[in-house]
Amino acid sequence: MSRLESGIPGFDEIFSSVSDFDLTGFPGNTSTLIIGPPKVGKSIFCYQFAYHGLSIDEPCLYITADEGMKQLQQNMIDFNWFLQSAMDKEMLYVIDSISSLSGASIETTNTYNLSKINDPTDLMVKVGLGTRFVFKKSEEFRSVFDSLTTPFAFNPEPMVVRFLKTYIRRLKEAGATIIFTCTEGIVSENTEKILKSIANNVIMMDGDYITFRSIEGPIGTAKYHITDKGIIVDKGEVL
Amino acid sequence: MIVRIASGIPGFDDFTSSDDDLGLDLGGIPENTATLIYGPQGVGKSIFAYAFAYHGLTQDEPCLYLTTDLEMGDLYQKMASIGLKLDEYSENEMFYVVDAALSDSGSEMEDSDLYQSTSVKNPTDILVKVSRGARMISNKGPRFRSVIDSLTTVLESNNPVLIVRVLKTYILRVKEAGGTALITYTEGSSNSSTEILIKSMVDNIIKLDQGKITIEAMKGMGRKDIPYQITEKGIVLDNSE
Amino acid sequence: MKTTHIPKLDDFLGGGIPEGSSILFSANPGVECEAFGYQTLQSRLEDGDQGFIFTNVAEPSDITYEFDKFGWGLEDSVDEGNAFFVDGSSYFIGAPVSGKYYVKDYSEVEEVVIKAIGDVPNGVGVINNLSTLIDYQGDEETVRIINKWNQVAKELGTILIYIFTQWDYEKGLIHKIEEAMDCVVNLSTIEERVIIGQGFMVTGASWTKPSSSMVLFNILRPGGVKIFIPKLLVTGPYNAGKSSFVKQIAPDSVSVDRMALGQVPTTIAMDIGHVEHKGFIADVFGTPGQERFDLILDVLSKEAVGAFILVDSTAPKTFARAKEMMKRCKAEAIPKVIVANKQDLPDALSTDEIRKVMNTDQSIPIVPVSLLNNEGIDEAMDALLEILYK
Repeated sequence: MSRLESGIPGFDEIFSSVSDFDLTGFPGNTSTLIIGPPKVGKSIFCYQFAYHGLSIDEPCLYITADEGMKQLQQNMIDFNWFLQSAMDKEMLYVIDSISSLSGASIETTNTYNLSKINDPTDLMVKVGLGTRFVFKKSEEFRSVFDSLTTPFAFNPEPMVVRFLKTYIRRLKEAGATIIFTCTEGIVSENTEKILKSIANNVIMMDGDYITFRSIEGPIGTAKYHITDKGIIVDKGEVL
Repeated sequence: MIVRIASGIPGFDDFTSSDDDLGLDLGGIPENTATLIYGPQGVGKSIFAYAFAYHGLTQDEPCLYLTTDLEMGDLYQKMASIGLKLDEYSENEMFYVVDAALSDSGSEMEDSDLYQSTSVKNPTDILVKVSRGARMISNKGPRFRSVIDSLTTVLESNNPVLIVRVLKTYILRVKEAGGTALITYTEGSSNSSTEILIKSMVDNIIKLDQGKITIEAMKGMGRKDIPYQITEKGIVLDNSE
Repeated sequence: MKTTHIPKLDDFLGGGIPEGSSILFSANPGVECEAFGYQTLQSRLEDGDQGFIFTNVAEPSDITYEFDKFGWGLEDSVDEGNAFFVDGSSYFIGAPVSGKYYVKDYSEVEEVVIKAIGDVPNGVGVINNLSTLIDYQGDEETVRIINKWNQVAKELGTILIYIFTQWDYEKGLIHKIEEAMDCVVNLSTIEERVIIGQGFMVTGASWTKPSSSMVLFNILRPGGVKIFIPKLLVTGPYNAGKSSFVKQIAPDSVSVDRMALGQVPTTIAMDIGHVEHKGFIADVFGTPGQERFDLILDVLSKEAVGAFILVDSTAPKTFARAKEMMKRCKAEAIPKVIVANKQDLPDALSTDEIRKVMNTDQSIPIVPVSLLNNEGIDEAMDALLEILYK
């Protein structure tokens, strides 16, 4: 399986201490759920993951559902991550499914499209268009869905789950490495279980520790910090 | 660098200034964000909101205030009793009230540009009036403050699923218009998943409880706490003179 | 029969939709499907019928805006009282409700839509979107409700159009939904790792036997549903087998006399046919091979999206002529497949040898074919369609 550089210092090395596993790096062409309480850094992980990919010429299909494009750019600037050059090179394709609620009148571009938070059919159409665009740029690309929280607030749980399954299937088919986030504790236990079972890998963040459980079996955990340069992960241990 | 606006609570801005501010006194509430002030009943959440709103007025920052517990007249009185005299600012049209605290008999005041009556049982109407207010107020200057005091009362009178959506829309619109939002909420006044959802929708979370103010989450800052008191001047943190 | 004015769809439906019928536009997630419902409504309004849209995914103002983008004036129809909204969306996101009817509780939906149907006898109602209904009402309730709606609509002659996204529901549920409908139109994606196209196909109609072909389409703004029937050119040097090839792939083809357009008026013979291959439709134009008819080649190639260049595998001297025709074909730009015919003959060159002699790029497939023995024709079609949909 191919490995990617996550872009989060210390994260890719969580498993490297154990010599049995040749597992340095983020597993490619998989889907990973990032779950945890509010405000632990799940979005920051997404920004960092996407930004790092862009910096090594891996294009990204970014679906933002909690905050609009403007906020996304603002938040990334706080860490000195500037998106302009990636956007100029059309390496970043953003689907903004929340800004329509804000009442702002927004212009779409070649690589920036809008959708509605309570219309998963429309979102899936836009995802199809975006996937095709990014796929033409490179058959190895990243996709981020941040986050499922707002879709769960605006749609029945089964609908979001159905959408997620189709999204993951399409993006994996196209060769992408997918990360998607969700706030812990906002959906039923059963739905949360389903989310974890849909993903190939699960990352749990609780504010202090980041735990990575992959399909290959091993579970690794490490302490992490949010700095003004993003998330930094300390030396980890394999459980 | 995170831009913050002065909170109006003595000691709070010092408490929230970070080390790399280079002594420039840049603490306070991060601008253009949504902050949740929560805790049990009676800890001073509303007082925090009053101070925040009032301080903005003293800095020429208009304020949009959604009040759900105190009718406008009572609000003015309550704030005056801790030294925050709104009358001094009513002339320059800086304080906009959306009054959802009215009893069934309605308001004696007429609706105007600065005052809109509504009902806590009609969240759609609240959203319309607050959105309109935000648009109008954003024309007044580059920044403004927007307060909801309190979210709990709205939650109690409606289906939480709807209120959570309304809250999300409210926060998006206030931020889009350039404002900084502050929302008060009584802990435990809705079920756990609703509460977590609310916390996920804001940028900063401040808890008031047992004499301690805790920054649970804030842009550019780690978790920290400090004791505080409620005096006749409002909330005062233990680090202020 | 009420026409939809969606190209080819009315043909497939045997002329249109009978009054009081229900039609389900069932789309793969990722395919734009609303336009089918909206365009049908627009056509009916233009023909003087009345109609309504029940929406649970977009606010009425958004839908009116969508119509504007298509170039259709829904607002006028609403103002004139010929169309109205049933707003099943706004209240649930905290927006003010609008439209003639609105829903503030999901239990009201059934009755309200029945009322709406009653308001437009012999008209049309659009339900957008059925999938959302399922999550709020439950599987069984939804099936019961749509059966009820269809029954009421049939009695009043009202056509009901359902927009449905085929998320991974249980097969049993989808089956029950389709059973409740008089007609099902499937909207699917054409995928090759990513979605490269979309097509519609009528999979069932209670009043006619539908064609089993899929038509490719795009949704244009303005414009609506625009179908895409590829025009394929069949050309090549004299005696390479063009006519035979056209007749093989398009059995109903005819030879027509056509006035050559351009400066020199001449009458020439051309083969025109319609091909259906693995569910795809295309129009085929077989061109004459003589040099003096190259003018027509210029004209035709402007409209063609793909070309078959027939060559006689035993006549390398004609390859130069083939290359020249490829050039005239503006075939630098359009996808093409070289069909190396007469492979059954002993002195036929292999495709590798042909490629060497012709010096053509690797990107142009050369397919070995023997029209005499009916071999290789499917492969040639597959090869061109594959490049077309890359």
